[in-house]
Amino acid sequence: MIRSAWMAALAVSFGTLAGFAFAQEKPAALGLGVLTFTSGPAAAYGMPGKNAAELMIDMINARGGIGGVPLKASYVDEAQGTQGVIAEYRRLAEDKGNQVMIAALSSANCLALAPLAEQMQAPTIGWNCDTHQLLLDGKSKYYFRPNGNTIPEFVAYALYLLQRKPDVKRIAIVNPDYAFGHDAALIFKTAMKALKPDVEVVAELFPKLGSANFQTEISKLSASRPDVVFSNLWGADLENFVRQAQPRGLFTSSQVVLALGETVLQRANLPEGVIVGVLGDGWWMSPDAKANAVTKAFVEAYEKRYGEYPVFPAIKMANAIIYMKAAYEAALKKSDGKWPSRDELADAMRGSTVKTLTGTTVTRKDNDGLVDQVVGVTAKSPDYKFPVIGGMVRYKGDTLMPPQGEDAIKWVGTLSPAFLAAQPKPGSYQ
Amino acid sequence: MLDTLIPLAVDGLASAALIFFVAVGLTLVFSVLRVLNVAHGSFYAIGAYVAASIGLWIASASLNPWLSFPALVFSAAIVAVLFGPLVERCLMRWTYGKSEAIQILVTFGLFLILEDLQRIVFGVRSLAEDTPMQLLGSTQIGGVVYLNYQLLLIALAVIVVLRLRILLTRTRIGRLVTAVVADREMAQSIGINTNRVFILSFSLGVFLAALGGALATPTAGAAPGLGAETMVLAFAVAAIGGLGQIEGAALAAIIVGLARVLAIYFAPSLDAVAPYIVMLVVLLVRPYGLFGQAATRRI
Repeated sequence: MIRSAWMAALAVSFGTLAGFAFAQEKPAALGLGVLTFTSGPAAAYGMPGKNAAELMIDMINARGGIGGVPLKASYVDEAQGTQGVIAEYRRLAEDKGNQVMIAALSSANCLALAPLAEQMQAPTIGWNCDTHQLLLDGKSKYYFRPNGNTIPEFVAYALYLLQRKPDVKRIAIVNPDYAFGHDAALIFKTAMKALKPDVEVVAELFPKLGSANFQTEISKLSASRPDVVFSNLWGADLENFVRQAQPRGLFTSSQVVLALGETVLQRANLPEGVIVGVLGDGWWMSPDAKANAVTKAFVEAYEKRYGEYPVFPAIKMANAIIYMKAAYEAALKKSDGKWPSRDELADAMRGSTVKTLTGTTVTRKDNDGLVDQVVGVTAKSPDYKFPVIGGMVRYKGDTLMPPQGEDAIKWVGTLSPAFLAAQPKPGSYQ
Repeated sequence: MLDTLIPLAVDGLASAALIFFVAVGLTLVFSVLRVLNVAHGSFYAIGAYVAASIGLWIASASLNPWLSFPALVFSAAIVAVLFGPLVERCLMRWTYGKSEAIQILVTFGLFLILEDLQRIVFGVRSLAEDTPMQLLGSTQIGGVVYLNYQLLLIALAVIVVLRLRILLTRTRIGRLVTAVVADREMAQSIGINTNRVFILSFSLGVFLAALGGALATPTAGAAPGLGAETMVLAFAVAAIGGLGQIEGAALAAIIVGLARVLAIYFAPSLDAVAPYIVMLVVLLVRPYGLFGQAATRRI
């Protein structure tokens, strides 16, 4: 009996050691868990992300993978709800074959998964986690957000708007009725009031996410006579809003700001002069993107495979995979080619500076990313059937980010007209 | 004052018109089949997808753009012919007389199947074709620009209410339907082919739902999730009006439309819940809806 127990203990120890040794050897494939929306209304935004992941993985594998190991992704649909997403994340992260998680699109899911990443010690890259409420405690070891957050994203629109139209006074907001919409409204309003204290909010509407009909909201906006209509509607909601608002004259009576407008440039007939951006620097036609041979190859391959150019969610996903690849390469270099553990991979991500398809992402000590913000206006192009972004500016990511540990909204409230004057001007990014 | 009231009324009626088409189909099916069809919203979504696809085809083939108007009705007819008899004969008829729980489970299963079918056939991206809206232009009312297409929808909803009333009261098939609604067993015993009435009524319900989807397409397009969103609102409207009541559905659609508009204008945070607050209040006061009547329990 005693002998059997000893044998069992030895076997367990050996098994553990063998497992540890195995974890340090190159695996047959580098498993990734990729979470995005592939069904439901959010799929309009999530599918370009999945498409980009598939293409980027194919491109990396075509060049021998990472350190000679091919990438293999398992995809999870976030449309199943947060509880299902948590269960799927747990299932994938428990599988040692999956060494990195790329999760997630929805900020609500990101907030739910961040503590789980710590608990499971699974390096996780938030490829589209925008909410500034993520990583607030600065203690995350395994959860990384290389794509920036809502504070610089929406402060950038306030800056651009006031640089382009310094006399605006009456603001209207129409955002989706969930955290992303309400956060954006709060940040944009706070920034506008800090930068130009005499602005007045004349209408603030939060239609339900997934609404198809915005006619009453458009009537209310028109009746409020705003100088500016700001919106972070997205996906099919944004397409419908544009389709309904344009013939009703909203785009001519007010300066419209569509924070996620780039995602519908190829699908909705946006007029010239609408302020749009990419919530970061992920514009596939930006000067930096055009100067990058890898980006050019990615854009061409994406258009060839999917029949349209990569909108910024696609670029964000591609950049997240590039970020992961860079971390692996750095960790492999540090360990002289020995396959890194999850901890070593997370260490390589922290404090890293990575060249992406459209610029650079710098990871702070709190695992939050510093990414530049590209904003511009819709403009006709002789080369494309759809409008492109003209009059661009590229704001420095670090100047628009609150210092680590500081209350983000309070920090936005401290911005001043002098801060506005110090920023690069519209049209300066050429 | 008038400057505020006129846009409120126009918005309320335009909003009501779109809800009405799908709600009246739901209530018609319930009144004849005694089944609350949870998959009804899927027919709305399929109608929208088919209309958008046909509209895009007309545009790509450079046909006369005015053809896009009859194409909307044609799309709804295609959906009704394809799905009406098939679903009624293969699925719905097995639920007649069964408990509400079974009926809801069966139609919910159908809803899930149809949602996936839409995804497989039409993909996950939205489809849109707005030629009818563009052709009709816009009109300024009370200082606010409205699409003439919105006004057309109001007129069409009125026409549908009147046509349905005439169909049910002045035509032979209408009287047969009324007889089946009044007493199914008695109707059968006097030789009415109730199966035929069920197929026709269900197909008409599918047509009305698909017509609602098709008519919404020029302004709202078709996108994943449309069916579920519409179904919940249609159910609220049908419940307020009284299940099985056509005029009730019309009045309830107007009430819900106005409630939503008032919420958006004066209490935007209540926009999404306004229809359900109305439903709650109506059902507390009149549990069978505005036009509904308490059913006699047969022992």
